[in-house]
Amino acid sequence: MKISYNWLKELVPTQMEINEFCAKLTMFGLEVEEVIQPGKELEHIVIGKVISVEQHPNADKLSLCRVDVGEEEPLSIICGAPNVVKDILVPVAKIGAKLGDFKIKKVMLRGVESFGMICSESELGISDDHSGIMIIGQNFEPGAPFADAMGMNDHIIEVEVTPNRPDLLGMIGVAREVAVMLDTDYTPSEITFEESDVKTESEISVIIEDAEKCPRYCARMIKGITVQPSPAWMQRKLIASGLRPINNIVDTTNYVLLEYGHPLHAFDYAKIKDNTIVVRTAKDKEKMMLLDDNELTLHSDNLLIADKKHPLALAGIMGGLDSSINDTTKDVVIECAYFDPRNIRASALEYGLQTESSYRFERGMDPNGLVEVIDRAAQLMQLTGGGEILSGIVDCYPYQITPKILPLRVSRTNSILNANMSADEVEKYLNNFEFSTKKTTQDSFEVTIPTFRPDIEREIDIIEELARCYGYNNVESHFWINRIDNKQKRTVVRLAKNHLISLGFFEVNNMSFASTDDLDTLKIPNDDYRRNLVELANPMGEQFSIMRSTLIPDLLRNAGLNLSYKFENFKLFELNRIYLKEGEDAYAEPTYLTGVIVGEFEPFYWKEKRGVTSFYDVKGVVESVFSKVHCMKNITFKLSHQPYYKKDSAADIFLEDKKIGSCGIMKDEILHSFDIEASVMMFDINMSNIIPLYNEKEIHFEEIVKYPPVLRDIAVIAPSQIEVETIEQSIKSVDPNIIQDIQLFDLYTGKQVKQGCRSLAFNITFQSKTSTLTDKYVDKLFDNIVSKLSREHQIELRQE
Amino acid sequence: MKEQIQEILEEARNSIPSCGSDKDLEELRIKYLGKKSSLSDLLSKIGTVPKEERPQMGALLNTVKNEIAQLIEQKKSVLQEKEDSARAQGLDVTMPGRPLPIGAKHPLYQIWEEIEDIFINLGFEVAEGPEIESEYYNFDALNTPSWHPARNPQDTFYLKGGMLLRTQTSPMQIRVMEKFKPPIKIISTGRCYRVDKVDPSHLPVFHQVEALMVDEGITMSDLKGALDSFVKRIFSADTHSRFRPHFFPFTEPSAEIDILCISCNGEGCKLCKNSGWLEMGGAGMVDPAVLEEVGYDPEKYTGYAFGLGIERIAMLRYGISDIRKLITNDLRILSQFQ
Repeated sequence: MKISYNWLKELVPTQMEINEFCAKLTMFGLEVEEVIQPGKELEHIVIGKVISVEQHPNADKLSLCRVDVGEEEPLSIICGAPNVVKDILVPVAKIGAKLGDFKIKKVMLRGVESFGMICSESELGISDDHSGIMIIGQNFEPGAPFADAMGMNDHIIEVEVTPNRPDLLGMIGVAREVAVMLDTDYTPSEITFEESDVKTESEISVIIEDAEKCPRYCARMIKGITVQPSPAWMQRKLIASGLRPINNIVDTTNYVLLEYGHPLHAFDYAKIKDNTIVVRTAKDKEKMMLLDDNELTLHSDNLLIADKKHPLALAGIMGGLDSSINDTTKDVVIECAYFDPRNIRASALEYGLQTESSYRFERGMDPNGLVEVIDRAAQLMQLTGGGEILSGIVDCYPYQITPKILPLRVSRTNSILNANMSADEVEKYLNNFEFSTKKTTQDSFEVTIPTFRPDIEREIDIIEELARCYGYNNVESHFWINRIDNKQKRTVVRLAKNHLISLGFFEVNNMSFASTDDLDTLKIPNDDYRRNLVELANPMGEQFSIMRSTLIPDLLRNAGLNLSYKFENFKLFELNRIYLKEGEDAYAEPTYLTGVIVGEFEPFYWKEKRGVTSFYDVKGVVESVFSKVHCMKNITFKLSHQPYYKKDSAADIFLEDKKIGSCGIMKDEILHSFDIEASVMMFDINMSNIIPLYNEKEIHFEEIVKYPPVLRDIAVIAPSQIEVETIEQSIKSVDPNIIQDIQLFDLYTGKQVKQGCRSLAFNITFQSKTSTLTDKYVDKLFDNIVSKLSREHQIELRQE
Repeated sequence: MKEQIQEILEEARNSIPSCGSDKDLEELRIKYLGKKSSLSDLLSKIGTVPKEERPQMGALLNTVKNEIAQLIEQKKSVLQEKEDSARAQGLDVTMPGRPLPIGAKHPLYQIWEEIEDIFINLGFEVAEGPEIESEYYNFDALNTPSWHPARNPQDTFYLKGGMLLRTQTSPMQIRVMEKFKPPIKIISTGRCYRVDKVDPSHLPVFHQVEALMVDEGITMSDLKGALDSFVKRIFSADTHSRFRPHFFPFTEPSAEIDILCISCNGEGCKLCKNSGWLEMGGAGMVDPAVLEEVGYDPEKYTGYAFGLGIERIAMLRYGISDIRKLITNDLRILSQFQ
């Protein structure tokens, strides 16, 4: 449905800015799909006054005009139209104006320059008339913007009308809705006209044969009308709403259709045989020629408007060709009826005829609004074509359709909306919708639903209307998720656990109690954080006298127990809290992840020799856990001096500068205290430091680099004290944008390598995000890497 | 004669596909199709068949012969193929593949996660709180009278300095309600402590899940509905629950929750000590005094709470009768929960 904002403003007093208005309308339930500003396309088109018209020196059919457009000098414009004369007002497209795709420029026509164009209606997109230039009848100042002068500076608001709201298919219905929305009144045009002495019923009679399919039929007559083009204001409104002007009679029915949303039909009285309109169903195989030159073969479900002999129209869908208005029409019969929506829908569907009329009838029109509509049509026809309106309406209404009366409870409304509307408030809203109310108790009303609202059938339908008035966004949100939930911790814990399990770890569960002996056994120094003990006042025994400050002893005990059951190679972890005293009545309960790898890291496999388990196995486990919970990039490893690890066999783990754990190979002497004769590697990580960093939403897709990578190997002899990480950083720093990846793939120390050095080989990936790398460029980078390593670290390229 | 032919075919259909080598197959070929085979024998005796049945019998003999020949051919190519590729690869498909390790979550934590997920699906949020608590949160705010025996050091672990180890997850109720306005719909899970000798049904350290919902119009029906939804999901759809009147300081009315014994369905067995019912935990409508304590209007809001032991649920689900099994960390137990 297209709504002209200017037209709407004639009906409802509002000066609201268009965007604000549309936002409000959408939130009220009438969704705005598009707003078009037709006047915008008429920029640089102004009113011009033709001062003089001369013959073009070199062309017979062209005129040389001087046109006053309100500027100092009149414009010199060449015009080819036959109707251009002195002293008329015309639309002038100045240089820079655009008419569709056509841009107005200064042009040379047969040796004479033209500074613009005088336009026809069709060139302006106003009508199809291209017989000559448009002559403006009203009086305007030259230079006034054409769109303003013609009232075309409008906004056409295209709204989606839901199928339950046929009342919104006309401007009056929209105005009524908008008035409710803005809490104001709307004023339809006043309907007044004079009727002649001749009674309508003396000239035409109506017989309804099928009252079920046509419960009401009204007819009016105008005699002696002139068929002619309708006035500009009417044409403008039709065009704005997407309809093409034809003549004053057809235009009036269309205009009233737009205004009231109710379809009308006009018959040429002369073509109605016996002065009688019969509303009947078709005979089987009865034929009829429609306005669009289509011949239908009908059957007994199709409803017809006919005279005594022939069909005049397919009811509610389309008129017949024979009875249609033409230039010679003198007397007009106006039809305004109410048809059964189901029947119209079935017939329209059957013949594939979706018309403005059927579209509305099949959604349900207002049977009790017919008189107003037909009077409005009569008024406008007379206004645009003269003639005399006969007195009275022939109104055939065999079965009265009465408004529904529904009960409404205020308390029920409030309980559904969780609102607190008073009975007065509710009543006011209902009355705004033109629902009349009768208070039955303190809490309830009897609500009379006008027949233009067929969608309101139950109490809950009324409550929906009240909800819109109350404002959907004023309903309090009652929601409880995402305030407290520990999703972040839960996710990290589950990711870490599941990952370790897929690496073959078994989870253990130990009680929280411990004794200080365990800390002594691990040789944990007195100033270590794990000595901030939480001591029980009433322990269940000496070995349960404190809350454990580390998970390590329990895991070693679990390992010893399982070794005693003849398990040789296994992995265990526990993820639980430790307990630390932080001050007077202040305690911390950080979550730790601690694991042990007992015996061989890899499970025994007949195909391979038993590997030598090394520090790098446990480091690999730790790195993969960190990768799994997305924090590997912040992690670094430094040689550890924890007392329970073998010398030079362990690393402390740092998150930025904070030590958050360690991993490495356990000292035999410690293991012996736990009756363990096997080798044990261990990791111990404070997860409470990791959890807050996890963000599952941080993963964002990156476009795949379309330029190919270049792989190069570099083998170097490096002094042993230089760490691999240092070398990698050094390589990367040569060109961090191009050097994407550095992988160590070989380490060798032995006879061929000089004392105090080791041979290292790296695989380097070069790749640019913006171009294909040339060999020459990669060679240059490679040379830079070699010289940088040599310069900064005395690292030499290995000579093969 | 017809029966004899069918018998031979049946036998061939069984023996040919199950034969394992070329040599065996050749023997079978001679047995069924050779000159001295029983089929040849029958063919020679076809003259003894009444004249009108002879063509039919002859045709049957031929079909059977053809089918057996076909079976032998098929088997031959299967044997050939097997031999070819195995010989080339030196493959023994019965040797073990690369052992990729699979560990296991501890059964208690498996159940814990499952419980959390059930309640999350029911729209609950999961709240965690400290295990080291003050007497205020563990007892006072929960409307526990000062004389209540639970406060005794014979029942509750105290720390040097006066704090205690929470005896239930209920203190989180108070912590959450202090901080947030209704509606509240949470579970809190975690370790709890009570002074109990380690025996087949007690550990001094155990785990609880506690649910709390507070809003306008929450009724005892909501409590029963939430509990029923839970027990039916964690056990089975036909698990029944019942409420028994009981006393808890922080709920009124209070109840103990039983479920119909999942082992005997109420008939009476060892698991339920012949009562037909298993005790699951405590429940009730939040005491108005507790709501008042956290600044809620008890006239406006009502709520329910219930608490369940996670060890108990794990034991019932897995059929573990001794709670100590859940802390032994014996791989012979843990590896059953892969």
